[in-house]
Amino acid sequence: MPEITFIPDGLNSTIPVGATLLEAARSAGIVIESPCDGVGTCGKCKVRVLAGAETLETSDDRHKLSEEERAEGFVLACSSTVFGDMTVEVESTEGHNKTLKILSEGASFAYELEPFITKRFEGGQTTIYAGDEPLGVEEGDTTDKLYGLAIDIGTTTVVTALIDMLTGEELDSVSALNPQSLHAQDVLTRIKFASTPEGLREMHESVTAQFRSMTDDLCARAGVDKRFIYETVYSGNTTMIHLATNVNPATLGKFPYIPQIFGGNHIPAAEYGLDIAPFGLIYLPPIITAFVGPDITSGVLAARLHERRGTTLFVDIGTNGEMIIARDGTLSATSTAAGPAFEGMNITSGMRAGTGAIEYFSIAEDGSIELRTIGATKPVGICGSGLFDIVGELARVGVIGKNGRIVPANRGTYPEMLKERVVELNGKPAFCVADEVFITQGDIRQVQLAKGAVRSGVEAMMTSVGVSEAEVGAVQIAGSFGYHLRADSLVNIALIPAALGDRIEFVGNTSKSGAQAFLLNTPCRAEMEEVTAQVNSVELSNQEGFDKLFVACLGF
Amino acid sequence: MQEILQRLSDAILAMDEDAAAQLAQEAIDAGLDPTEVIDSACLDGMERVGTLFEQEEYFIPELLSSADALYAALDVLRPHVHPSVAERQRALPRVVIGSIEGDTHDIGKNVVSLILSTGGCEVRDLGRDVPSTEFVRAAQDFAANIIAISTLMTTTMERVGTVIEALRKQGLRADYLVIVGGRPLSPTFARRIGADGYAETAAGALRLVRALTADPRPKRPGVGDLIVL
Repeated sequence: MPEITFIPDGLNSTIPVGATLLEAARSAGIVIESPCDGVGTCGKCKVRVLAGAETLETSDDRHKLSEEERAEGFVLACSSTVFGDMTVEVESTEGHNKTLKILSEGASFAYELEPFITKRFEGGQTTIYAGDEPLGVEEGDTTDKLYGLAIDIGTTTVVTALIDMLTGEELDSVSALNPQSLHAQDVLTRIKFASTPEGLREMHESVTAQFRSMTDDLCARAGVDKRFIYETVYSGNTTMIHLATNVNPATLGKFPYIPQIFGGNHIPAAEYGLDIAPFGLIYLPPIITAFVGPDITSGVLAARLHERRGTTLFVDIGTNGEMIIARDGTLSATSTAAGPAFEGMNITSGMRAGTGAIEYFSIAEDGSIELRTIGATKPVGICGSGLFDIVGELARVGVIGKNGRIVPANRGTYPEMLKERVVELNGKPAFCVADEVFITQGDIRQVQLAKGAVRSGVEAMMTSVGVSEAEVGAVQIAGSFGYHLRADSLVNIALIPAALGDRIEFVGNTSKSGAQAFLLNTPCRAEMEEVTAQVNSVELSNQEGFDKLFVACLGF
Repeated sequence: MQEILQRLSDAILAMDEDAAAQLAQEAIDAGLDPTEVIDSACLDGMERVGTLFEQEEYFIPELLSSADALYAALDVLRPHVHPSVAERQRALPRVVIGSIEGDTHDIGKNVVSLILSTGGCEVRDLGRDVPSTEFVRAAQDFAANIIAISTLMTTTMERVGTVIEALRKQGLRADYLVIVGGRPLSPTFARRIGADGYAETAAGALRLVRALTADPRPKRPGVGDLIVL
């Protein structure tokens, strides 16, 4: 059997003839980023063959490699079949976390400090109670130590907060990439990956290993002993909660999209891979539907949507756009598949929110451009908020027409300074945002599809519930972009109706702030179990004329 | 004469329904052969629309509006088409198309369906969440020569291959060309499940159908051959 050596780690993998390089790496325990899970569509798993290339057979799908890369010996690990010994150089995935900008704050509300976990010192020992039930016993008086974790399990990023449950104070929080994304970028690819027992184990164990290392970091920084952490709340979309609790999510991935679990319960932390108090618990907030999960339940809680008078539109903008209309206590929910464009995927110069990503862009009256990058460095790409800004501003000044087409310089009525930036890239129109950073006609089409999905969802929900624009008192935007977005850009790209522009509020990461409220206030749990049971779930694809509405929502 | 045809083609490109219908009427009044008008003007107009769509100049709304203009012209022209042309219609590629079972997404599939029908194919659209047995049954019923399967979701892509398995089991594999497409698919995948063709874009799907049916009678390519467009 061929032996593959991976540089720089120097690890070896012996694999059967005909296996792929990606499989070889995985069996050697080497992580090669492969967000499409080896289908050959993303082009991220490129590695360089240093020796033994002649024994390799590659089927280079969709030409994901440039001529230069091929000449230098790069191949896609997923599409390369091994027939003999070889040496392969792999790019390190370490350091991916270091520069990411992750939003960890969300709006919240005032609640009583009434945690589910309590302690009582009696007869020389401390008894820990979960509600009225004794959970465990500790020697001596430990009543001054009572901690909990609130974990927001995002598809892309995980945020963990360490909470002192005696004071309600957040001691510290840390963020990291969700390690599952290395193998499978989006929710559906993850569901597919987890459809085998090994795949499910990998998804479950990688994310719980991340939770453990975050717990260790937080405890070390705050000087807390992790055995005094008694409860953890998991907030995240329905698929993330399935994977984190080791439940096969297969039924979420096909019509009629049914969850296997519904939340509103506890599971033992130790059995599910957490390293906290040995008798510690994990609380799972109620799940609304396959695509409206506990992250949205947390959002409802944090924003008190069920208590608000009048009509509020709540939208979580991400790969899946989830939305809720709350009207005097009656909640309707739906979700739309926006796709990964808002996270910079499938965008020519798209990138995650790391150093050098353009996160802010505006055009002055004379056509001069102001832009800001994360880390204030030279621009190297565009992240989600930058993409909203760029497309929004270009649509506002007319570089992009109502139909989404880039208006050629000779027909444009926009400032001269912008005309020289309208160029051709690979024979198609593009706008030069900065040196070597472009937004192409194709990118704009991707944004149109993504925002059209959200906008048509908003419109269909409003129609279904019978709400007029005039009636909507507030539009709350939640999600990982949160505060980085500008209301103007949401209106300029017509993701939110123009008439509602002055009512937009950003509420941030309410998945995390809601999880914190669940942790610290027990009555929230019964309250939200009741609220979510009564949510009216709107299935968009079953609505008459939805495809026409979607098409109508593609323009600017 | 030629000028009317050019203007009709232009009207379709310009998404002008009224002008398209009126020009079609003028062509009939001028004694032009309606079949000739359909081939030279209508199909030519949609061909140009398809090119712009592929170049990303036109998008879904423009595509739909152009198709509306095309259909406005066809509504005028078709009643004048000589019955013998029905004969010719049988030689057109006949396609059954649908989104695979478990997948309720169909916007992309609808675009392909539209491009194929406006590009000179006879299309029966089976909708979404279509079981493999239904693809096979409909292909037989419609006397199709091509089965086109779409999926948007990674989670349902493996089911695409079940249509080919169903054909094999019933000894019908040689009777149909199977083409596949959709965001999570790739040529590697298409090859693995034994499809006859894969296209990344909707316009590519039309070229694929044309390539596969270039002979009057569709022929199965050799084992392992896959046409990628």
